[in-house]
Amino acid sequence: MIPFLLRRLLEGIPTLLLVTVLVFSITRILPGDPVRLMLGEETDPEIMREVRKSFGLDRPIPVQYAEWLYGLLLADLGRSLRDNTQVTKLIGDKLPTTIELSLLAIFFGTVIAIPAGVFSALHRGSWWDGGVTALALSGISIPNFFLGILLIYVFSLKLGWVPPSGYEEPWKNLGKNLSLMLLPAITLGSALAGGLTRLTRNSLLEVLSLDYIRTAQAKGLSKRVVIYKHALRNAAIPIVTVMGLQFGGLLGGAVVSEQIFSIPGFGRLVVDAVFNRDFPVLQGLVLVSALCIFVVNLTVDLLYAAIDPRITYS
Amino acid sequence: MKKLVLLISLIAGLALAKTTITVGLDADPPNLDPVFSNALVDRQVQNQLYDKLVDLGSDLKIIPMLAQSWIVEESGTVYVFKLRQGVKFHDGTEFDANAVKFNLERSMTAEGSRRKGELSLVKEVKVVDKYTVQVTLKSAFAPFLAVLSDRSGMMVSPTAAQKYGKDFGNNPVGTGPFKFVERKRQDKIVLAANESYWQRGLPKVDELIYRPFPDDDVRLANLLSGAATVISPVAPKDLNSVRSNPDLNLFTFPGLGHQGVWLNVTKGAFANPVLRRAFAATINRETIDRVVFLGTALPSNGPFAPGSLGYDPKIAVPKQDISLAKKLLADAGKPGGFSFTLLTAPGPVLTQLAQVYQAMAAEAGIQIKIEQVEFGTLLDKTDKKDYEAALLGWSGRSDPDGNIYDFMRCGGPLNSSGYCNAKVDQLLNRARTIRLAEARAAIYSEALKIIQSDLPYIYVYHPQITIGASKRLAALPLVPDGILRFKSVEVK
Repeated sequence: MIPFLLRRLLEGIPTLLLVTVLVFSITRILPGDPVRLMLGEETDPEIMREVRKSFGLDRPIPVQYAEWLYGLLLADLGRSLRDNTQVTKLIGDKLPTTIELSLLAIFFGTVIAIPAGVFSALHRGSWWDGGVTALALSGISIPNFFLGILLIYVFSLKLGWVPPSGYEEPWKNLGKNLSLMLLPAITLGSALAGGLTRLTRNSLLEVLSLDYIRTAQAKGLSKRVVIYKHALRNAAIPIVTVMGLQFGGLLGGAVVSEQIFSIPGFGRLVVDAVFNRDFPVLQGLVLVSALCIFVVNLTVDLLYAAIDPRITYS
Repeated sequence: MKKLVLLISLIAGLALAKTTITVGLDADPPNLDPVFSNALVDRQVQNQLYDKLVDLGSDLKIIPMLAQSWIVEESGTVYVFKLRQGVKFHDGTEFDANAVKFNLERSMTAEGSRRKGELSLVKEVKVVDKYTVQVTLKSAFAPFLAVLSDRSGMMVSPTAAQKYGKDFGNNPVGTGPFKFVERKRQDKIVLAANESYWQRGLPKVDELIYRPFPDDDVRLANLLSGAATVISPVAPKDLNSVRSNPDLNLFTFPGLGHQGVWLNVTKGAFANPVLRRAFAATINRETIDRVVFLGTALPSNGPFAPGSLGYDPKIAVPKQDISLAKKLLADAGKPGGFSFTLLTAPGPVLTQLAQVYQAMAAEAGIQIKIEQVEFGTLLDKTDKKDYEAALLGWSGRSDPDGNIYDFMRCGGPLNSSGYCNAKVDQLLNRARTIRLAEARAAIYSEALKIIQSDLPYIYVYHPQITIGASKRLAALPLVPDGILRFKSVEVK
């Protein structure tokens, strides 16, 4: 296990370096000058030159890259071109919010999807199965921005149960935090729930048709034990894989939910950094995203071994 | 006894109840330091934190603020300001002539200062005595007081500015009616009442919270649900929802900005002035106001909105004239019309607007291909003159110079058209040096007539300021610069 972990960590370094080179090049190729965007209405060429110099953007790109990489070694990702805030601070402020939102979305998705998928598989071909499948497809198909606005309309404006948007830190007021996160988590989790329901259903159906299930049933084990201990555990590998992939996707996909519900998270910071060509922030965000996805994939690999004892890493 | 206890607790409760105004904006203010700030939305928050040397009244007249009075010498190059006494910054630093000198010099010299351009004519700032400052200009510059009514005139605490350096924007300290408490980027900016504000009895609310809602629907939902006390702007499609709500007030009034179409005169079809006139003749400003803005855009005759010194009611708003457009096309040797690409930034209103232009031009046989590019790319293309026509406007300044000088003079930094006319340059330069309002207005009218004939830019409409507010909010002054000034606002 330890050598496997070390090998994976070492393999991660060139991948992340490649990501930094790519993001550095892509941000510089984009049309649109950060200084022009920042100066907005005041575009005196003299001031533009001066601002460009003060941000070090007048130097050759390889020099800028080398400096940024050196800063990275010292855990310094630079400062935002917009308001001079440290990129590490910005990410530190925003990432937990988006992780919380993503985890809540996954929780919401899983709590609905796994029982619904099992139920659907056990009632294969029935009206119930059709109903669950239709709901799952709706979850996948309804766009986030539409569902978000719909939920705000119904639960905030018409029923007045939860505030329409905003954010409160969980350590300051957990109840308020959860009430504000509920609608965004449902919005973000609905597509996940839909996909996961379909996957659980199909994966379980496949496992249920295997011989060892018939053997387990022949041994006289109860239906509950057969399904939850034998079938579902074996059906879990693809489900966990997809959940891992989805978590990585949610970090980026939270953009729309965060925008609609005014949540100050990672996704909104990405959008803001792209539109303003805030290079240091954008570079830091892409690096941290890549790192998150790397960690999630590694965790999923380790989970395989926990779920299926036949899988070992050496 | 019980009644007494109840009464006391009720009074205590009332005394403790904090009055808060939550303001919903369409963007998160990027930088609160007036020296490094560029976004228009910054000024919404800055105006509560900092007082300025002078302010703008609802009629756009310059009114005293931290400068109680001023004298301008005959030459128009020397301004002597008498300052208000007994004013303190939020950190306890005293406001005096040295603070003014520090602030103006900081704006003029700080590396990367965004105020250098507007203060470039300042030659010297001299402390005459503790409460008197003399500013000498290199040459007469009529818009100088108007410049001081904006970010260049905002006074920050010298102590705090020196302490925080470039990080001052995240730790702002002024003399304004509200003090900075905290900011969470993209979430909220919290301000608290400055209890030792120099205007006794003000402000009348305890707390101001600014929250960015970039999505129009979400901004509206927050107002409707009561989560926001006031929002600005209100999207055109949402005006009726606010207007018809018994708990809300809708305020709409003309702003200082203008919107229209840049035409690239350096190359392509629009290098030909006749084709520029032909396209301009297809535009029906009333239809645009009615269809796209539901009556909240004012058809314009130039860069100056009514109320501005430069506005000339005698210059007619151009009317749509398809037969004139066809005639001009024939004169230019293009009787069957021509085609061009219209650049626009994304957004539902801009898309609709571009489509309306497209339909109108088609009536004369002019084909418009709409190309939507993200705002950064749009600026990049217009700066490099790599376009044919582009939808781009201006937020506006209180002095007419700010709406025309950098746009229409040869090589002006905001002249996206590449337009150059020596006569216009001469007039615009002259208008800057004359202090007599009527004489300046006449010069602007003369310049505008030439510009309207050359048509590097088609002025189409003045956007209105739109504010949706709870009826509990009272005494909100409506100033055409669109900034919500909360110092005397009450919550009922």
